[in-house]
Amino acid sequence: MTADLSRAALETGEVLVVERLGGGLLELVARLPHLAATAMPGTFVQLRCGERTTPLLRRPFSVAWTQDDTCGFVFEAVGAGTRLLSELQPGDRLDTLGPLGHGFTVVNGGPVVCVSGGLGCAPFPLLINALRRRGVEDILVLNGARTATRLYPAERFARPAVPVVAEATDDGTRGHHGRVTDLLGPALASHPTALYACGPNPMLGAVMRTLLESGADLPPTLEASLEAPMGCGFGTCLGCALPVRAEDGSSAWRLCCTDGPVMPMRDVDWEGLSALPGADVA
Amino acid sequence: MTDDGFTPVDLGRGLTLPNPVGLASGTAGYGFELDQLIDINRLGALYTKGTTVRARDGNPPPRVAETDGGMLNSIGLQNPGVDAVAAGYAPRWRGWAIPIIVNVAGGSIDDYVHCATVLEPVAEVAGIELNISCPNIAEGLDFGRDPLAAGRLVAAVRRVTERCVIVKLSPNVTDIAAVARAVEDAGADAVSAVNTYIGRKIHRASGRSVLPLGTGGLSGPAIQPLALAAVAAVCDAVHIPVIGVGGIVGAASARDFLIVGACAVQVGTATFVNPETALQVLDGLRG
Repeated sequence: MTADLSRAALETGEVLVVERLGGGLLELVARLPHLAATAMPGTFVQLRCGERTTPLLRRPFSVAWTQDDTCGFVFEAVGAGTRLLSELQPGDRLDTLGPLGHGFTVVNGGPVVCVSGGLGCAPFPLLINALRRRGVEDILVLNGARTATRLYPAERFARPAVPVVAEATDDGTRGHHGRVTDLLGPALASHPTALYACGPNPMLGAVMRTLLESGADLPPTLEASLEAPMGCGFGTCLGCALPVRAEDGSSAWRLCCTDGPVMPMRDVDWEGLSALPGADVA
Repeated sequence: MTDDGFTPVDLGRGLTLPNPVGLASGTAGYGFELDQLIDINRLGALYTKGTTVRARDGNPPPRVAETDGGMLNSIGLQNPGVDAVAAGYAPRWRGWAIPIIVNVAGGSIDDYVHCATVLEPVAEVAGIELNISCPNIAEGLDFGRDPLAAGRLVAAVRRVTERCVIVKLSPNVTDIAAVARAVEDAGADAVSAVNTYIGRKIHRASGRSVLPLGTGGLSGPAIQPLALAAVAAVCDAVHIPVIGVGGIVGAASARDFLIVGACAVQVGTATFVNPETALQVLDGLRG
């Protein structure tokens, strides 16, 4: 099936600010009227990192939030491309292609649980805003990171009213001392209608494992935003394959860029995914 | 001259491209995604994803890895199979102005012959591009590297199709001109050069190859001078039309191929970065 790219467009925006949030987290804000008007929760944009041929490929980013004609993106300078983005100055041009991909299913009623690991916070402000517009107020965010400074600030998950955010850090510098998955048990007690997860693929696998081992009924809507090294982002290079389980139980590949990045967690072949070598494009 | 101001490119057997700028195989799928992003019908040709007898799932990921000025891919010819292309995709091309050239890949002569036979009655297929650069080998033969084997393959396909047959040459050979001459002698109408260069990238923290199969195909601007040398050698060796491909990112890098004797070009990896690159090349060549 051909992906629906009818909303995707090339758009050159203007950088408004690259804000340092601490712990290496960055929030890039740019004026991008088309993207701001068309991005749905969980969709992504391909950002060009400079005008040279190295780094060559665009980098995919979740649209973190939109407000009027501006969009925000959360990232970390970990490779050549993201380093260039981190050096952008107000007034610089930002070459974008989006929105792309298949986003979250926005449910009509709560309670809802959002599970974020590290930069997995990125798609949640836009999702939470969309949920609120549907009248969903009972939203719990489980936010995990290695250390306190790398936690996306709770007040940024939604404006103006902040949802309930429970935090976990690997080193215990804030919130629960341990993994974000440790917080899932109590969260499931509320029988959420939807659970959305975003973070590194191994963390997403741990979320699914924890859910299954808990013995609790799985939320009817159970979705994760996954990642894979991408060539194009719009379904032609076939580079971003992820393993899924077909209905008959056999394994198959789906494209992260057009079948995802948000996929039903029940469909993902978590065992196959955990066996893959790490992502390379950063 | 066409409305676009280009002299049409005659590739033989009735296949005339409205202009010299096409989308390279493996970088444009079967056109349905790019058709939503750009005015695809302004372009000179769409060379489809490599298509095989049976559907192929493709290789395990990671399938792509960025390199300086380029990228490696190891997609593994993921495609729905030639029957699905003929029955399911071709009707969707009806009414498109852009000539559709189906890239065909296989592991044996029979594979290529079968695909060409299936595509022969399909009106929407303007031509066939034989991908003889595939690392799959059959009975000890690697068609792209052995002029005799390449010639036998082309001769076999020639017998079952009246369509224009373009042969996409591998650059991973000692003497690309010898392969080009062999396929010309066997009845190829045109050649396209080059496919990707074999490359490898090491994940430095682990010391392992990034791509699961070790190597992949290198594309992107890094290969343009290599491709240009290969295309120049091919142009000197044959009398049939030569289509240049490899590392084109704009009109200037495309024009280089025309200067050394190519009559048309294909834009590949640059489309991933900017889907409008081929159209920009087209406009730039005109101006």
